[in-house]
Amino acid sequence: MTRTCCVWCPDWPVVAARRHDPSLRGVAVFVRERVGARELVRAASAEARAVGVTRGMRRREAEAQCPEAVCVDADDALEVRAFEVVARALETITPRVVLDRPGLCAFMTRGPSRYFGGDDALAVRVRERIVAALDDGEPDVRIGIADSGFAARLAARQAAPEAPFVVEAGGSAAFCAPWPVAAFGDPELVSLLVRLGLHTLGDVAALPADAVLARLGADGRRFHDLARGHDPGPAVLVTPPPDLVEQMELDPPAARVDQVAFAAKGLAGRLLFRLAERGLACTRVVIEAETEHGERLARCWRHDRVLTPAALAERVRWQLDGWLAQAANLSEHDHDHEDIDSTTGGLTRLRLVPDEVVPADGCQLGFWGGDQAAADRADRALARVQGLIGSEAVATAVVQGGRTPAEQVRWVPWGDVREPQRPLVVGPFSAAWPGALPSPFPARVFDPPVSAQLCDEHGLAVVVSGRGEQSGPPARVECTKLPGGGGVVRGWAGSWACDVRWWDPLARRRCARWQVVVDCGADIGDVACVVMVEAGRAGVEAIYD
Amino acid sequence: MSEGHEARVPASHSLPNRDDEARARLRAVAVRAHPFVAAADRRLPVGGLLGELLPAGGVQRGSTIAVDGWPGSGSTTVALTLCAAATSAGEWAAVVDPDGTLGARAAAEVGVELERLAVVRHVPPDRWGAVVAALLDGITLVVAAVPPHLRFGDARRLVARARERDAVLVAFGTWPVEAAVRVHTNPSRWRGLGAGMGLLEARDLNVRVEAKGRRFARAG
Repeated sequence: MTRTCCVWCPDWPVVAARRHDPSLRGVAVFVRERVGARELVRAASAEARAVGVTRGMRRREAEAQCPEAVCVDADDALEVRAFEVVARALETITPRVVLDRPGLCAFMTRGPSRYFGGDDALAVRVRERIVAALDDGEPDVRIGIADSGFAARLAARQAAPEAPFVVEAGGSAAFCAPWPVAAFGDPELVSLLVRLGLHTLGDVAALPADAVLARLGADGRRFHDLARGHDPGPAVLVTPPPDLVEQMELDPPAARVDQVAFAAKGLAGRLLFRLAERGLACTRVVIEAETEHGERLARCWRHDRVLTPAALAERVRWQLDGWLAQAANLSEHDHDHEDIDSTTGGLTRLRLVPDEVVPADGCQLGFWGGDQAAADRADRALARVQGLIGSEAVATAVVQGGRTPAEQVRWVPWGDVREPQRPLVVGPFSAAWPGALPSPFPARVFDPPVSAQLCDEHGLAVVVSGRGEQSGPPARVECTKLPGGGGVVRGWAGSWACDVRWWDPLARRRCARWQVVVDCGADIGDVACVVMVEAGRAGVEAIYD
Repeated sequence: MSEGHEARVPASHSLPNRDDEARARLRAVAVRAHPFVAAADRRLPVGGLLGELLPAGGVQRGSTIAVDGWPGSGSTTVALTLCAAATSAGEWAAVVDPDGTLGARAAAEVGVELERLAVVRHVPPDRWGAVVAALLDGITLVVAAVPPHLRFGDARRLVARARERDAVLVAFGTWPVEAAVRVHTNPSRWRGLGAGMGLLEARDLNVRVEAKGRRFARAG
């Protein structure tokens, strides 16, 4: 049994933003984050929640609900930096604090609870310490204690801001039973469970364990354990082999996060790769650092699922940011807290120690032969290329609405959500985009267009009048991108005048387009291209290659 | 007696049909469903007319294919058709496109599944070799636009890397070293466009394929 105390600060992003910028205190605030092309609400202050702003709502909708609210951009590093204060306050009570995400952390109560005289006394003490550390009036801190980490998190959700909620020993299963299955937080599995008629955790806990494993696999078994108030998973905890620690020296000592962050990414990848070689996956990792003055810092991070290289690298970055910002703050304001270990100077060494490893059974290969394996391999290769030349350089294309070949495609950096900016289908309607060029589509698109000469038979530049009429039929196109520099026009269609966004004086564009087949010389032959004229200047927009 | 008779009739119906024709068909199914494939037999079938021109109707994994031709003669379309062969087999494809001019709608049109096509845009020239090598490590088919002054040694190293990783390298542009298949696009003819009327409709692609001493030529 691992009796756990969970500390939860609701809407931590708002708290962090207010600590950073005191002018936000007392006004309605919500924090937005970018998910793919959409902007969603990550957290909202009590004032905004009171008028109906909720987590996961679209920004525009939230602004409609609460027009006077201040909208703040999400900043992961800021949140971790602010939460570091709470983590350090807890470290005065117990040496092993496990961070889940900014705003949520947990620790085992066995030692501290005996020392402080019981769970209730411990919870009160924890609250006092955090309130003192935050030094923030009456902060919203919820504390729950139960037999497992999951039950403790539910207890924290049930707790009132002033009174911690303690589930007595052995009562966790009964405490969990009435909660809805949505508490698991895995939308796919939750929807399946609801369709199977299992609405509460009690329903799930009542099922026989072997049947759950057979029907729902390893994930299902994990949830079954959670629902029964057990800590999930590895009853046989695999002890991490000591030689799996990854470390690196930083020379010269790093005082800024960006100096370490890239190297940390490689370190995280190496650690997980070596674990994977042994068939292991990591759910909890200790990030350790040493400063040039010989101080040692350590912090434990856990993850609900198996840590991926990206997730681990993100946590390492957050943590380093927390430590280094603390150091910068202390040197600026010359604070001196005796009970809080303060960081001074740059970091000289970084270590990643796998703290809890489990057999890697979470990866189910595709039924019809290694689809998933191929995807993982491709992911690794592309992540490596992103490391070489930058993450923006590797992209996938999403087809979207637009008139020109360049507008019709959105390039999404690899790993981001593939969503069009201007969807082709909105609800039951598909967008028309009158004036867009039909199929076949050009295989080479120049954005912006490459400047060219478009002449009529007298050698004069072809221009288009205000009514969209061309001054003469195009007879010759010259452009550096055309093989042989261009040549005589053999066929053309147009001109198609295009007057877009006429309602917006800044974004308005007027241009005319032609489809042209150019004879580029005897051995090159015909080349088809799209030529446009805008403000009297011609350009080649695309080549049909 | 009647009971025994009735019992025998359905029994004879439920016996499997085991004549020679059925056995032959069963054997063909077994060969197709055979789970083990020798490495040399692993090829990505290419659809359409280009597939008919390629030796054995597809591209051999681990080999290098050189595609070249003037811009506008259809070489990009040929390269994209090869990408479509990879993605429609459930594999991944990547395009190294230093100028960032690839038209994604044209790719989708020839059958490429865009979510499995990674495009590496704006590659610094000194990193080109490293990027292509890294892609060959994990991606089945890599189309790489060849930079102007590629050294023989670098090109050979990539050919060897493709062979070792069982990936297909499609060198787009002038490829200085050997390739299993060379595809050259000749001048093509467009249809559908008149003087001031019509729209581009279709073209006659003129492709020459050279493979291991054989030469196939066809306009299609």
